[in-house]
Amino acid sequence: MVQVPTRSCYPITLLGRSLDGAAPEVCRTTLYFPLIMNAIEIRGLEKSYRVYQKQEGLLASLTGLFQREYRDVNAVKGIDLDVQKGEFVAFLGPNGAGKTTTLKLLSGVISPSGGRATVLGHVPWERENSYRRKFALVMGQKNQLWWDLPAQESFKLHQQIYRIDSQKFNNTRDELVDLLDVRNLLGQPVRELSLGERMKMELTAALLHSPEVLFLDEPTIGLDVIAQHNIQKFLKHYQQVRGITILLTSHYMKDIAALCKRVVMIADGEIMYDGSLEGIIDQFSGHKVLTLQFAEERMPSDLSHYGEVLEIVEPKAKLRVERGEIAGVLSSVLASHSVADVSVEDPPLEDVIADLFKQSTNKQAETKAAAAQATIGK
Amino acid sequence: MHPSYLGVFLTFARNSLIRDMTFRTNFLIEVVSSMSWMIMNLGFYTLVYQFTPDIEGWGKYEFFVFIATTMFVNSLVQAFFMPNAQELSELVRTGGLDFALLKPIDTQFLVSLRRVNWSSLGNFFVALVLLVYALPRIENFQLFWWQILLYPFYVLMGVLILYSIMITLAATSIWLGRNQSLYDFWFYITNFSRYPMEIYRGSYGEPLRNAFTFVIPILVVINVPAKILAKPFNSQGGGMAADWRFLALFTLFATAASLIFSRWIFKKALGSYRSASS
Amino acid sequence: MVARVQTWWTILKICLEERLVYRGDFALGTLMRFLPIVTQIFLWTAVFASAAGNTIEGYTSETIIAYYLLTMLGRAFSSMPGLASGIAKQVREGEIKKFLIQPIDLLGYLLLARIAHKLVYYTVAAGPFALVFYLCGDYFPPFPGMQVFTAFIISLLLGFALGFFLEASMGLVAFWFLEVTSLLFVYMLFNFFCSGHMFPLDFLPEPYFTLVNFLPLKYLAYYPAAIYLGKVPPEELWQGLLIETGWVVFFIILSRYLMNAGYNRYSGFGG
Repeated sequence: MVQVPTRSCYPITLLGRSLDGAAPEVCRTTLYFPLIMNAIEIRGLEKSYRVYQKQEGLLASLTGLFQREYRDVNAVKGIDLDVQKGEFVAFLGPNGAGKTTTLKLLSGVISPSGGRATVLGHVPWERENSYRRKFALVMGQKNQLWWDLPAQESFKLHQQIYRIDSQKFNNTRDELVDLLDVRNLLGQPVRELSLGERMKMELTAALLHSPEVLFLDEPTIGLDVIAQHNIQKFLKHYQQVRGITILLTSHYMKDIAALCKRVVMIADGEIMYDGSLEGIIDQFSGHKVLTLQFAEERMPSDLSHYGEVLEIVEPKAKLRVERGEIAGVLSSVLASHSVADVSVEDPPLEDVIADLFKQSTNKQAETKAAAAQATIGK
Repeated sequence: MHPSYLGVFLTFARNSLIRDMTFRTNFLIEVVSSMSWMIMNLGFYTLVYQFTPDIEGWGKYEFFVFIATTMFVNSLVQAFFMPNAQELSELVRTGGLDFALLKPIDTQFLVSLRRVNWSSLGNFFVALVLLVYALPRIENFQLFWWQILLYPFYVLMGVLILYSIMITLAATSIWLGRNQSLYDFWFYITNFSRYPMEIYRGSYGEPLRNAFTFVIPILVVINVPAKILAKPFNSQGGGMAADWRFLALFTLFATAASLIFSRWIFKKALGSYRSASS
Repeated sequence: MVARVQTWWTILKICLEERLVYRGDFALGTLMRFLPIVTQIFLWTAVFASAAGNTIEGYTSETIIAYYLLTMLGRAFSSMPGLASGIAKQVREGEIKKFLIQPIDLLGYLLLARIAHKLVYYTVAAGPFALVFYLCGDYFPPFPGMQVFTAFIISLLLGFALGFFLEASMGLVAFWFLEVTSLLFVYMLFNFFCSGHMFPLDFLPEPYFTLVNFLPLKYLAYYPAAIYLGKVPPEELWQGLLIETGWVVFFIILSRYLMNAGYNRYSGFGG
């Protein structure tokens, strides 16, 4: 039985044939040799679940013994996403936005309540062993290594579970521990390792079976700057060499800036942006930051009619100016004051995103997000 | 390609041993303490047999064989399955189950055998000693080759039945969110199996015996192997009594049924975990 | 002072709520608790059926059942499931730091949590207990009179205090031995055997009976039951309760001492 999907059937003309009567067959054969393969395809993915609504107060708890109230949580509300092989994509979003849920859906730990998704051609929640051998999930807040044992024992267990040939296992392990610089810690019980060292071991364990897709949930959470930097460096290197597909969620903008060309912003279970990190500013920030350094003895007392005053440290002033008005404001400032230095900058990315997250919690933001998505669609 | 289940199990066993050996004093205390538990049990029945010559046809040394059988079964269950079943609810609470679900290996196998509690096997040897002590002291004792074959086999059946019940209980903890009573429930329900089934008599006893034989088959776990070894013949002599032959056959069926049922429950519970968590 | 009472009251309330969330535990736990009694009834019926004479060491086939039921009541007060192992776990995983940092007394907090635990347990378990005692009414001797009954109630309450501070002391040993679970198991065994939970202590031959009589464990199960069944002569009644009180005080002091010594050791190690 051959299913003819609508999306992943690539143009027949690519095969250099004209559209004659044989077209349907040609289309079928091309199915098996797609020219650009998506590692991950998600269509209308949804996940909702019920949680026990805990009542405030003692009496309510007592009645909760006999009667419980549940609340439906829509963690993921219909996500569409394509990720190509070899892409390094970041999921960005406030807590509870649905990032981790999406990763869990894609790794088959949980089943969706609607929609579909394929990863490397597999439906994750069917949990075929052939699929489970091809990906790995690393969660920064959970560990899967045996707490009381040296990490190398857990690695051996992985070798057995994933049935890695011992030659290959030794090579992969050696390569990974050298890259991560943890070879000398292999014999130490995991509980004695620092958080950063533990995360390196977790990464090693996850990559032992050379997965083609890697899901990283907050891999640098709680780590110090140096450890964060090391992990970033490793991920970047490994991804470039191996060309694997990585989906990463993180709160640290630095992780994302260092690693991912593509950012998918999720808020409230929906995708509100998909593009480059810098694009977020163009997309969502309508203003620039104008910094003026005055040459006059006394700074002009009233700057507020040029734009919103952000900061004044004599002889400098920072103004927030609408993007469209920047040229007019600049020329009138230069005309009426003597200015030593001028710079026009985009607002800091963190601020733009923080604003966005704040908005997404407001009801009004929903329409805005929808509008933004519509423009992306164009 | 299937994962090597034996290889994985041996690695689990090995890792557990390494872990146990890092806490060596503890390991020793554990061995000693589980032994002393059985010695206390023996003490209790020695005490009881001071007041009575037999309990429903089980003489003192026959009953010691019964106790040894209990020890064999329990030590195996405690060594291989108990720590894992207890940890399952913890895995659910901490989200560690997520990792088990990712692995290209049967989830029930993975969570059932992750840890081996080596110290529990200490009782296995105490049971052997007890058996060697008690068997020759049974009146008119004779040992046949079929007893030597059937006894270990039925001990194994008993272990499998108890495993099924245990994993069924553990799986329900996935539904309940957290289940500290799991161990209690286990203790109370297996408590029934630790006595000769003949004591369940009378208008309350009969239904109870039937329920724990045919609905939750825990009475056959110890009774069948113990009876095969200690009291293979009924008082009239001449071969295994008919009702016991039936019970021995039924045990085979009960083992298969419990295993299938527990697997079904486990899968259901996993399904509910998948759809209920974020 | 008022603020302090308020703090404790809040903690008690939170603990109550926390306990109530897990209703599954409760329903199962209470129901199951009565199952061993059933096997005990059958076992002792079988023993008495073939025993020579109608009584064993002063117990008839009826009073022995009453004894087991009463020890269950005693254990409902004195047993502290998860207390010692909970403390050990907190020490092992470093959660104990919380009590070093926050202005909360560890033992006080645990006591309140335990009271909450027990209160909730009693509200749920009262029904089943009443039912079983009603059904088994025939096994009981006639009401022993107000004085004995009062002593019985006091022994139950003292049993709770003794059980709590004894187990807390056991758990605090975790400051010295990280994996304390096996030690707890040994304790549990001795408790089961020597508290009279397994069989009436009167069954023990000498010199074991005298020996066990000197241990505090008998107050956890045997003693309340023995009081109710009239096994304790009236003149020894109050004296016995006084000794029990002494044990409670001893374990209060011991647990305090262990806690402070443990804190010092813990902070000395640098966590």
